[in-house]
Parts: sequence; structure tokens; C-alpha cells
Amino acid sequence: MRWRRLSTVTLIQLLLIGNTVVILYPMMMMGLSAFKSTREIFRNPFGLPEVWSLANFVRVWEQTNFPLYFRNSVIVTAGSVALILVLGVMASYALARYEFRGNELLYLFFLAGIMMPLKLAVIPLFIQLRAMGLTNTHLGLMCIYAAEGLPAAVFILTGFLRTLPRDLENAARIDGASEFQILWSIMLPLVRPALVIVGIYNLVPVWNDFFFPLVFVQRESLKTLPLGLTVFMGQYATDWAVLYAGLTIAALPVIVLYVFLSRQFIAGLTAGAVKG
Amino acid sequence: MAASPRPAAPDTKRVRLSPRAGRTLWLATLLVPPTVFFLVFEVIPMISALIYSFYRWEGIGRVGFAGFDNFRRVLFEQPFQGWTINAFWNNVIVFLTLMVVQNGLALFLAILLGGNPRGTRFYQVVFFLPVTLAFVLVGFQWKLFLNPIIGLVNQMLGAVGLGALAQPWLGQESTALFSIIFVNAWRWLGFPTIVFLAAIRSIPQDYFEAARLDGANEWHVARHVTWPLIAPAVTIIVILTFIGSFNWFDLPYVMAGLDGPPGRSTDVLALYFYRTAFGETAGALQDFGRGSALAVLLFLFVLVVAITWTRILRRREVELT
Amino acid sequence: MRKRFGVFGLVLACALLMGFAVAQVTLNFWSWRTEDVAAYRELIDQFEAENPDIKVEFQAFEFATYATVQMTALLAGEGPDIVHVRAYGAFEAIAAPGFLMALDDKVPALADFPPLALDGNRLRRDGLVYAVPFASQTLVIYYNVDIFEELGLALPETWDEFLDTAEQIKAAGYVPIANGTATSSMNEVLKGVFAPSFYGPDFFDDIMTGEATFEDPRYVGALEKLLELAPYLAPQHQGVDYPTSQNLFVNELAAMFVSGSWDIANLRLQNPDLNFGVMAPPVPEAGQTPLVSWFLDGGFAVNADTKHLEEAVTFVNYLASREFGQLFTDLLANISPIPGVVSTDPLLAKVAELNQNSTPYIMLVGFRYQEPSGSVLVQERLASMLAGTITPAQVAKEVTEGIATYFEPFQNR
Repeated sequence: MRWRRLSTVTLIQLLLIGNTVVILYPMMMMGLSAFKSTREIFRNPFGLPEVWSLANFVRVWEQTNFPLYFRNSVIVTAGSVALILVLGVMASYALARYEFRGNELLYLFFLAGIMMPLKLAVIPLFIQLRAMGLTNTHLGLMCIYAAEGLPAAVFILTGFLRTLPRDLENAARIDGASEFQILWSIMLPLVRPALVIVGIYNLVPVWNDFFFPLVFVQRESLKTLPLGLTVFMGQYATDWAVLYAGLTIAALPVIVLYVFLSRQFIAGLTAGAVKG
Repeated sequence: MAASPRPAAPDTKRVRLSPRAGRTLWLATLLVPPTVFFLVFEVIPMISALIYSFYRWEGIGRVGFAGFDNFRRVLFEQPFQGWTINAFWNNVIVFLTLMVVQNGLALFLAILLGGNPRGTRFYQVVFFLPVTLAFVLVGFQWKLFLNPIIGLVNQMLGAVGLGALAQPWLGQESTALFSIIFVNAWRWLGFPTIVFLAAIRSIPQDYFEAARLDGANEWHVARHVTWPLIAPAVTIIVILTFIGSFNWFDLPYVMAGLDGPPGRSTDVLALYFYRTAFGETAGALQDFGRGSALAVLLFLFVLVVAITWTRILRRREVELT
Repeated sequence: MRKRFGVFGLVLACALLMGFAVAQVTLNFWSWRTEDVAAYRELIDQFEAENPDIKVEFQAFEFATYATVQMTALLAGEGPDIVHVRAYGAFEAIAAPGFLMALDDKVPALADFPPLALDGNRLRRDGLVYAVPFASQTLVIYYNVDIFEELGLALPETWDEFLDTAEQIKAAGYVPIANGTATSSMNEVLKGVFAPSFYGPDFFDDIMTGEATFEDPRYVGALEKLLELAPYLAPQHQGVDYPTSQNLFVNELAAMFVSGSWDIANLRLQNPDLNFGVMAPPVPEAGQTPLVSWFLDGGFAVNADTKHLEEAVTFVNYLASREFGQLFTDLLANISPIPGVVSTDPLLAKVAELNQNSTPYIMLVGFRYQEPSGSVLVQERLASMLAGTITPAQVAKEVTEGIATYFEPFQNR
């Protein structure tokens, strides 16, 4: 019995470690490639760099306005995710916790947005944003990303909010809490994991996107990091080594943020488990 | 927007609103900003673009009304019809494979981590790392791994005496799509894992303990306790995977190309639509008419399926809980 | 570097404003050539030195998205003053709806350009030219001089010699031809190099007039020859893409590489020590002249809505000048179609020599005006043919049928 239990534990650990290797090994290769030249990446794709050279990082630094692009990316991504979370919580809370005529219809209206490829609408979107004075602005980009991310946010958050027991808010109402207080101090803390999921789900594609900035931002001072790195993507040859360096640096803040959020995530979960 | 059946008549004498008016106001406060925002930045531009599908285009100029001609061409005229059907079935394969490989594995991992084995925190971070990476990087790195000449996958097969299994993975119709789906699963695995994990963690511990006291083995616990109680998370993942599969674009674009080589075996609807609307680089000519028609069809299909499905899954959730 | 230019520009602008009271005009110039940003800066500096009241701002966009960016801006009326455009069908997509300005009477130098070069940027409907041709490309075979010397090989002239040479290279452990078939457009390039010498110089005109279709024995025969090359392509060629091919050649693992003249600069950049040359495609019988595929890469156009017409015209006239063409060729190792430009670069000189006997790159020049385009049809089918799943005759049949859906000369047959 004891032996069997031990072997189950070992088996579980072996599976988890196996998966860890499958995930970490390719990522390690990516990290190593940032120190090679493009020629070396193809000649020696999986070995240690022949010379540990910082040349790629230096080129990223010298040929792009790296600190500026980085700052712009942080502004655009943070703004977009904040917009998505605020608008998403507002819509999904009303849809999930209140019954009113047209609820289902409104829910489907948002849901329909998930499968619209906004890239198709790039021309009307451009014309409209220009009329609103939002081309060549960070706010314009934030609005596009928020509109793109909102449906998924509403979908995920509604799903989580619906599972919360009714008694929670009824009890609070009897205690005289305002509707806003119920939303802010009772419901939101309980769906913190869902907020993290929505945040991450939107943050990664926004952080890495260069399509919309390429179309909507021409002013140097407003360019984002992925847009800035497209100068290394050529018609006949792409400077992979430099892209590796640039994109590896670009991934770091997201990873750090996730490590930080995953703490929040566990805290939120425990809170949810206790109350639920 | 119908927030309330009848807004209560404003009572000017009291400062406090009646409960019903207050509720209406509160709901309007919650619903109006997101709805207006969504209308302005997504729905209106999208409708303008979908209207393109009813016009004939000459290059980037709109030259006349076409009725349903663009729809007829993508659905009934060769070779466009063949491409449409082929891309559609490839999307179906992508969805089914991702459901089994990616989400199945994610659920399994989430159940393992749900038991809080040693190092859970570490695994939870590691499994999520690839989600943070840019598509360009993931796609290129895996192209190197799968490269028939310099790639590690074939070299490793050779090293363990399975050299005969070495393949040009991305270069033959039988393996190309599945290779890219695998890479997709590699990158995205962490996302369904944490969603499932979040759901599992919110199940009260006593449920598990009660089941185990009743003598249920781990399989029974997973099947009869965990599975029904994570139904909402399953709904979310199934629908998101469905939508993601039918909008699948970046990875096949980076790893195979805009025209879905070899022999259109990696061609999916989003690639096909994008190539048709904007695809000068693939040796094609752009045609907004046909491109938008494809987008309309894709949209209608996904919408109908997603709505029907959401309803079925919701009903199942209700029954299970 | 850029900052210094910026400050310099600012100082210059101030000086101009105060000293000459001339309002400086800034022209926006958009392109997809991200690789050439530094060279264009130099080319523009030369122009700005001669025209101090005009400033040109060059912006390069990622290639694959460039068409979308350009189109969106033009449709919204926010396009740049000077637009770098592709040729043939992609050019007509913008020119036909009236977004560009006819240049025949605005750029006198165009009169001296070779007509074939102008045709790439000529609107078929009105016969006017809407862009100054910027570069022509020729499809060629690159070879590694050192490997050929090491193996004691002479440059093959005929098809049989070519196969024999490839066999010897393979036996010596090198990859004979670096190309794979995973990147669709490169399959068409492969055909573009080897097929013309077999289907001959008259075939293009016969096709365009409907005298022949792609099921003509000349074309099918050329495809059959192409199939004989399959054993000499990169190992497991179905999975070898364009960047891998480039790197097989750059890292001296392959003796030959089939590509276009556009790759010269890139190969040199990747490996400055690479000792490589340009080889003519093999001919059927000894003594025949090799025939190469040629096409216009694109041109410089003026936005029909530009607010700075006079300055834009001044600038495109510079882009059509010999002075520009010479510096362009010297900086970018590309063939300029501007008359009188000569290149001292031995590889470019060889390409120019091959151009003496050239035929239009058939699908791009002839069949990229409607969908399904000839390129779309042939690219994916060639990969299947080289993988051995369909025959050359089937490729020819499918391509002909696809084009016949809109190309009238094929329909009556």
C-alpha cells in the first residue's frame, strides 16, 4: 500500500518533470540563439554559441529606439488590458448577475465579436479613427485592442461570475451594502483568478502584435517594441539572430509579470475555495 | 438596450431614487459604456467591411455592386470552392486535434497539479512560460527543430536507432498540419491548464475527502467529482478552442506560409481569407470582395455553432451541478 | 546616428527658414525594403544636398504587411507622397483605381528607358506609365567557386553536363543544389531558371496570344527536365525552406543555389568570405544560347493626391536620373533599368550579360492580373511534382484549366 502510494507520487513527478523538460529545452535554445549570428543559428542550431557575443543585443539597442519603444509598449499594453478589464467586468457583471429583458441577446452580441477578425476591418477602422483624431496615437491602439479583447473577456468573466452563489450578494444587500460595494468588495475578489486569466489572455497578443501599430502608427516617437523590431524582418532575409535577442528581451517582462501574478492567482484561489 | 421593462417615473420630491430606477441606472452604468465602446470600435467598422463582400473590386478600387456573386464564387466556383472546402476541413482537424492533445493533456496536468504534488508552484509557472512568447519566435524555433537537415527531431530519432522515421515534417501533406498543431499545443498548453486548475482549486476540499472516504479511487474522484464540478471551465475552454481553431492564423503563417503548403495541407480559413483580401505576397491578387465574403461565411458559421454549443454546454452545467 | 541626422536636419531647417525664408517641404516616401534603409538614406542625402528646400522622409515597412499598410493609407487619403510599388498585377491593383499619377509627361527621362522595363509599371488600360522602374531581377544559378575548384569541375554548359556535374558534387558529399520546395515561391523560381532554355524564346508570345497553352509539348517537356533535378536538390527537399537553402549555400554545404539576382547582397552580407559566382542555366544542346527569366521588380510612383506635386515630381525625376541609378547599383548590388548605368561589380556584370538573352518571367509578367493567378496555380503543383505525387502533364493541365477560367485566348481551344 505504502509502496504503491510512493510509486504514484514518483510517477506523477516523472510526468511533470518530463513536461517541464519538453517546455524548457526549446526555450533554452531560444535563449542561446540570441547570442549567435544568423549564420551560426543555421550551422549550429542547438549547441552552445561558439563565442558568447552580445552583438545582437547591441544591434537591437543601437538600431532601434529600444527604451522608447519599450516604454510605448508598456503604455499601450497596460492601457489596453486595463480597458478590457474595466469594460469587461462592467458588462459581464451585469449580464451574469442580473436578470433583465435582452440579457441573452446582449450576451450573444458580445459573444459574436469573438470570431470577427478585426484585421478585415482595418480600412474602415482606419478611416473612423482618423475622423476621431486617433491615428498616430496610443489611445487609438488601446481602443482597437480593447475592442478586440472585450468579447473574450465578457465570455470568460460571465462564465466565472455565474458560478458564484446567490446568497453572497443577498446577504450583503440585507446588510445594506450598495450595488457598487457588492461588486467591488465581494464579487471581484472572488473572481480574481478569472481576472488574471483574462488579463494574460489579452496581454500576450497585444504585447507581441505589430500589425495594428504598423498600419496606425508612423510617428517614430509612438512606435511599439514589436513594430520597432520589424526593421529586422526583410523581404529576402530576416535577421533572426537579432530578432531572437529582441524578442527574448521582450518576453522577459511578461514572464516576470506572470510569476508575480501567479502568486496573486494562488491567493485568489484559496480565498475562493474558503468562501465557496 | 433593454435594461429594465419599464423605467420608473422619476420622483422629483425625493433625492433618493426608487429601488427600480436605481437598479435601472446601475445597470445602465454598467452596460452602456462597454456596449457603446464595442459598437464604435468593433461592430461598425466590421459591418462596413462585411458590406465589401457585396461589391466587385478591381485591385483596391470598388467598381460596382455584385450582389451575392462573391459568395457564389467562393462556394461554388472552382478552384475557390475546392480551397474553401479544404480549408474548412483543415480547421475541423485543428479543432479536434487540439481538443484531444492540448486540452486533454492540460486537463490531465491540471488534475495532477490539483493534488498539490511537490513543486506545484514551480510547474505552474513553467508550464505557462511558452504562452508569453511571440509567435514569430516560437514558429521559427520549431521550424529549426523540425528542419529535415539541421533539425534536432530527426537527429534524435537517428540517435535512438529510429532514423527510418526521420521525415521532412513540415514538407509533406501527411505530417505538416499535425506538426504545426503540436507546436500550437506546446505553446498554448499552459493556458487551459491554469483555467482547469483554477476551477479544480475552487472545489471545496471536503468533496474530495468525502469521496475518498467512500473508497473511490483517483480515477473515480476525477470522473465523478472533479469533472462535473469544473463544467464551467470546460465550457470556456471548449468554446475558446473552437473559436481559436477557426481563427487559427499566426502559427501556420509563420511555419508554413500564406498559401498553406505543401499542397494546401496547412491551409485554414483565416489564412485563406487573409490571403484573398490582402495576399499580394503569396503570388496572388487581392480581392476584397471574395475575402470579405469568406469572412462573412466564417463568421456566420462560427457564430451559429458557438451559440448553439454554449447553450448545450450551459444546460449540461446546470444538470451537473 | 539617426539622432545626429535629426539635429542636423533641424539646424539646417532653421538656417533655411531664417536665411532664405524658404518654406521647406517634407515628402513622405514609403517602401517595403527594410533591408535597404541605410542605402536609401544615402541616396536621399544626395538629393537633399542638391535640393535644400525639399526634405524626404523614408519609411520602410515589413514586407508581408506592406501591401495592407499602403492600401489602407491610400484608401483613407493618408498615403505618402512617393510610393514604392511592385510591378505587374500588384501595381495595377493600385494604379487602376486611380491612386497614382501618370508620369509620362512629368519625367522626361522615361522616354529613354527600355520599353520592357516600363511595361511592368504601365497600366494596360491607358498605356501610360505610373512609376519610375527601380530594379530588374534575373533568375540565376549561384555557384560556390571554391567547391567547384576543389572538385576540379568546369562550369556545365549543356543539360547533360549539368546533371553530370551535380552527380559528381553529390558523390563528393556536398549538396548539389541548395534549393528545397517548402517555400512555394521558390518553386516557381526553380522553374524560371531551368525551363526557358527548353521552351524557347517564342513561347511567351505564343501563350499570350493563345497560339499555345501550358499543355504545349515545349512546356511539358521543360517540366519533365525539371523533374530530373529532384535527386540533386537538398536532402528531404520537401521540408527545406528558402532561409535554409540560403544558409546551406552561405555555409558552403551546397555547391549551387538557384535564386534571383536580388540575393547577391544578402549572400555577401551573410558570409563576406563566400567566393561565389553567377552561372548561366544549362542549354539542351552545346552551342545554344541560354535563355534567362527576367522581370521588373517595381517602381517609384507619385500619389495622385499629393499636396506637394512640384516637389514630388522633382524627386521622382531624381529617382529616374543616371546619377541615382549609378549610386543605387553601387550601394545595393541590384540591376538598375536606368539607361547608361554600368556596374563594376563582376556578378552584376555577369547578370547584365545574361540579360542580353532573356524572356519575361512567365507567370508574374503574364498571369498575375486575375485570380487564380498563374503563380498561385503553378507554385503548389510544382512542389507536388518534385515530390513525385503528380506528373508534369498533370501540372500543365491544371495550370491551363485554372487560367482558362478568365483568360479568353485559352477558352476557345
